[in-house]
Amino acid sequence: MRRALTAVAFFAAALVALGFLALPIVAIFAHASPARLASQLSSPVVTDALVVSVETSAVAQALVLALGTPTAYLLATRRFPGRSLFVTLVELPLVLPPAVAGLGLLAALGRNGLLGSSLDALGLSIPFTRTAVTLAVAFVASPLYVRQGIAAFEAVDPSMVAASRTLGAGSTRTFFRVVLPLARPGLAAGFALSLARGLGEFGATIMFAGSLQGVTQTLPLAIYSEFDRNFDAALAMGALLVLVSAAVLLTLKLSVQWTPSRQSSRSRFALSSWS
Amino acid sequence: MSAHRVARRLWPLALAATALALAPAAALGAPSAAPPRLTVFAAASLTDVLPQIDPRPRYSFGGSNTLAAQIEQGAPADVFASADTALPRRLAREGLCSTPVVFARNALVLIVPRSNPARIESVYDLRKPGTKLVVADPGVPVGAYTLQALRTMKLSGVLANVVSRETDVREVLAKVALGEADAGFVYATDAKTLPGKVTALKLPARARPEARYAICVASSSRHQGDARAFVARVLSRAGQAKLIAAGFLPRAQGQRK
Repeated sequence: MRRALTAVAFFAAALVALGFLALPIVAIFAHASPARLASQLSSPVVTDALVVSVETSAVAQALVLALGTPTAYLLATRRFPGRSLFVTLVELPLVLPPAVAGLGLLAALGRNGLLGSSLDALGLSIPFTRTAVTLAVAFVASPLYVRQGIAAFEAVDPSMVAASRTLGAGSTRTFFRVVLPLARPGLAAGFALSLARGLGEFGATIMFAGSLQGVTQTLPLAIYSEFDRNFDAALAMGALLVLVSAAVLLTLKLSVQWTPSRQSSRSRFALSSWS
Repeated sequence: MSAHRVARRLWPLALAATALALAPAAALGAPSAAPPRLTVFAAASLTDVLPQIDPRPRYSFGGSNTLAAQIEQGAPADVFASADTALPRRLAREGLCSTPVVFARNALVLIVPRSNPARIESVYDLRKPGTKLVVADPGVPVGAYTLQALRTMKLSGVLANVVSRETDVREVLAKVALGEADAGFVYATDAKTLPGKVTALKLPARARPEARYAICVASSSRHQGDARAFVARVLSRAGQAKLIAAGFLPRAQGQRK
């Protein structure tokens, strides 16, 4: 009897949770017909925001990959004093309120910020530019990639690395031909999360980069500015972001599921894909 | 790394995030035994003065347009105090609030950071290329007044120097006060709140738009009596004195209820 009650309680809780999480998503699509939403997607506000979002995300995520991969590798493979402090530092933006991130970026890179006068001397002014958007996105999104990357590199079997080295491959070659391919599913998962988080960035951007259509107004900022003017346009952009986020998650799940079957032919695959 | 490991590493994080997200909601949902507390939606420029007139209500300050849209979406406001008359009139037409009453007026000014990095001495200096001008979004009342003033002065060209369109007047004030922007358009009363940080430059008299603030009681309010009492308090001699002390202009003649 008690067991049955517990089971019912669990199911009820799960049902409430699912309904709560699904309802807003459903509502975005139910509020207006797909045709009406689609017609909004061609309005200049939406297309401009799309361009800003895509461009800043592309640059920000390229930075995340280029700087985050070596960082994750070092943190995963080296043991040194203060390592956990470093890891915590890298993970901190993950739990930091975005408004605090924006405040920090302004205090660091704003005109009167820590590095403001040095940047000014170089003729650089970051706030209100697309660079500011890119930096805000990279700041809030990169921890997701680095965190996942550390785990991925830690999971690489050290004997594989040792084997590669004994067979005469240098450390660079070993990294690109053995370590990276083995860590790739984990890195891809981290990258997908970073991409999704970056596309949704709002708080740090509006504080550090402001909001100007066609320059710094990303999709989330455009949603906020259109919400009182043209609710349909805001909904259309919301629907677009839901679809993109769902696609990212789905790709992530598929890529992770797809990996185990590949394990048997790993070495061959790894060599062919990186040569 | 396997999917399982990914999940194992992430779920404590997800749990913590959920708990964090739900905690404030739970706090808000808690029933209170206190007498009904009014919820007043008010223009950001009223942030400092309204609590001086009546500290009791729960205030939500923001761009008047955002607040009006929230009321249209069913937000539980008892009173709406807007930085213009158009938004409350729109709500009244939609049957969402009472007939609005003008309770104050305000002047638009140009502000520059105290250090004045772009050396702007008058509104005409905004034409200098590379000036970082911050304005409010045209949907926000102050943003509309800004466009109107620039049009009157035949200075619409300076809009090319706009680096950001902010969501309410206090955001404009903040960006200029921080020194990140060279200049911005705000109300005279906003400039007065940060005298050490910004310098206000008056606009030519003919270009000063008439910013009239109107207030109304939300039709959905379950505290109609208290809400009307709040409006009366704002319109009272004491309320008006507080507004004038904060730098607002007296509500025009002939607007008495």
